[in-house]
Amino acid sequence: MFSFVVRRLAVAIPTLLVLVIISFILMYSAPGGPFNSERPLPPEVLANIQAKYGLDQPFWRQIVNYVWGVVSSFDFGPSFQYKDRSVNDIIAQGFPVTLTYGFWSFVVAVSVGVSLGVAAAIRQNSWLDYLAVGISVGAQVLPNFVMAPILVLTFTLWLGWLPGGGWNGGQWQNLVMPVIALSTSYMASIARITRSSMLEVLNTNFIRTAKAKGLPMRRVIWRHAMKPTILPVLSYLGPAFVGMITGSVVIDVFFSTGGIGQFFVNSAFNRDYSVIMGITILVGALTILFNLVVDILYAWIDPKIRY
Amino acid sequence: MFPNKAAIEGIGDAAHLAEVKGRSLWADARTRFFRNKAAVVSLVMLGLIASFALFGQFFAQYDKGFVDFSLIGSNAYKGVPSIETGHYFGTDSNGRDLFARTVQGTGISLMVGIVGALVAVIVGTLYGATAGYYGGRIDGLMMRIVDVLMSIPFMFVLILMLVIFGRSIFMLFLGIGLISWLDMARIARGQTLTIKNKEFVEVAVATGVRPSKIILRHIVPNLLGIVIVYATLLVPSMIIFESFISFLGLGVQEPNTSLGALINEGARTMQFGYYWQIAYPLFFFVITIFAFFFVGDGLRDALDPKDR
Repeated sequence: MFSFVVRRLAVAIPTLLVLVIISFILMYSAPGGPFNSERPLPPEVLANIQAKYGLDQPFWRQIVNYVWGVVSSFDFGPSFQYKDRSVNDIIAQGFPVTLTYGFWSFVVAVSVGVSLGVAAAIRQNSWLDYLAVGISVGAQVLPNFVMAPILVLTFTLWLGWLPGGGWNGGQWQNLVMPVIALSTSYMASIARITRSSMLEVLNTNFIRTAKAKGLPMRRVIWRHAMKPTILPVLSYLGPAFVGMITGSVVIDVFFSTGGIGQFFVNSAFNRDYSVIMGITILVGALTILFNLVVDILYAWIDPKIRY
Repeated sequence: MFPNKAAIEGIGDAAHLAEVKGRSLWADARTRFFRNKAAVVSLVMLGLIASFALFGQFFAQYDKGFVDFSLIGSNAYKGVPSIETGHYFGTDSNGRDLFARTVQGTGISLMVGIVGALVAVIVGTLYGATAGYYGGRIDGLMMRIVDVLMSIPFMFVLILMLVIFGRSIFMLFLGIGLISWLDMARIARGQTLTIKNKEFVEVAVATGVRPSKIILRHIVPNLLGIVIVYATLLVPSMIIFESFISFLGLGVQEPNTSLGALINEGARTMQFGYYWQIAYPLFFFVITIFAFFFVGDGLRDALDPKDR
């Protein structure tokens, strides 16, 4: 097990480095620096500013400095647009928000998705099954940026139950719509995967044996069928995580929740390179970490995996 | 064990049938596809949507760039959809004809989807087939690269690219192309691994055909079924992808538009009661995605030998 974790880390760290280097090269090759404005600065002022931000040094020096800053002290450097704030400040402000509704979306997607899928599989061809299949097919065409306006249209403009945006310190009223909008399509996918996986497992010999020795159905499901059913779901969680973290950008922009997605898009419009890079790297690191956790869980649950 | 009598008679029957009319595997697949009602209906829908995107402009009463200044500020009651004014879908918040804009948006979204899927198919299939055919260390290295690229949240990198190199349709295509081939490569590799041990490949190797030619002439044609299925399923995800970026305002730029950009505009004005501005683009978006998914599902049932 230990060597498996080490080997997976040996892949994860180069991946992260590749991401850092790609985004740094992209940023470096951008036409026009962050300090090119319509009214050109006097050359000596510009030189001073560039020296302050380390932009006068050769390319390799800059990249080494940046990577070292990130690795040694988790320092993503200063923001180029908000002169008094560092990228770390911005992340510290936005990240808890994203994490809060991201966490709840994940919980909702997995718990509702798995229970819907299991229920549909156990009662195959009942109304519950058709409902679950209908929901999962329908939700496929409702990505977050379609769900969000529909939700606001219904719950804010029509029924007037929920606020149409804002964060308000994470009140549940402000959480409901972001969580639904973000989780729906993943919930649908998880339900579909669980259903087909459970159907497959229920047809295997060991389930027949379990039934034959007289176990009640609930026990058969929980003790025997659940574990193999969950494996394909587990391997879907990695892509789902990437999708959700990407979707959080839409949530932040549409609901003005103030998470990192909002800063990301604002920086994209302001050409605030260091913020864009910092967030990209943070998200990349999270993704890699999450995939690592999923892989380890998978190896732990599935005895067939050799490591 | 001798085959029993019924089976022998069955063979005789089958041989008799084969004399009457030969049926290729493709014809079989076609029959299976047309038996699937949802897929056929979706195919017809797709045809209608495509002709809407292609010929819709001839029915529009206004040019897509024409701004009706008299409507600005009084959109809510003058810009409503109506046959009389010629604004079939109403106007957008700038006083442009929404029908013409939706035609254009549908066209661009379809184009992005199809071009993205094409890039994915060509690059992914060749990459996967090459990796699978050579196997061993080359395969390991090539697929490790795919693994690494897959674990990067590409949307962020793509937005970074759009910011740095400017927002244009070309960059969008490049970015979508960069991401979309990864899944395809994995699928193509998996299939190649089973195909490359078949006799016809062995014969080709024995007769001294070059590896590149074996891949193109003998392996890729046998991947075609599964490639078509995944290409059809890729188109809607490419459309969703493009709409996502356009929804953020980072994708297709004015005066061009796409369904994602139109949904974005509509979502901003719906609180003032201009529901048609989001309803029509949303309708076309949902219908298109639905139709592609059902056609893809139908094709998978018809062509994929695994799920029968």
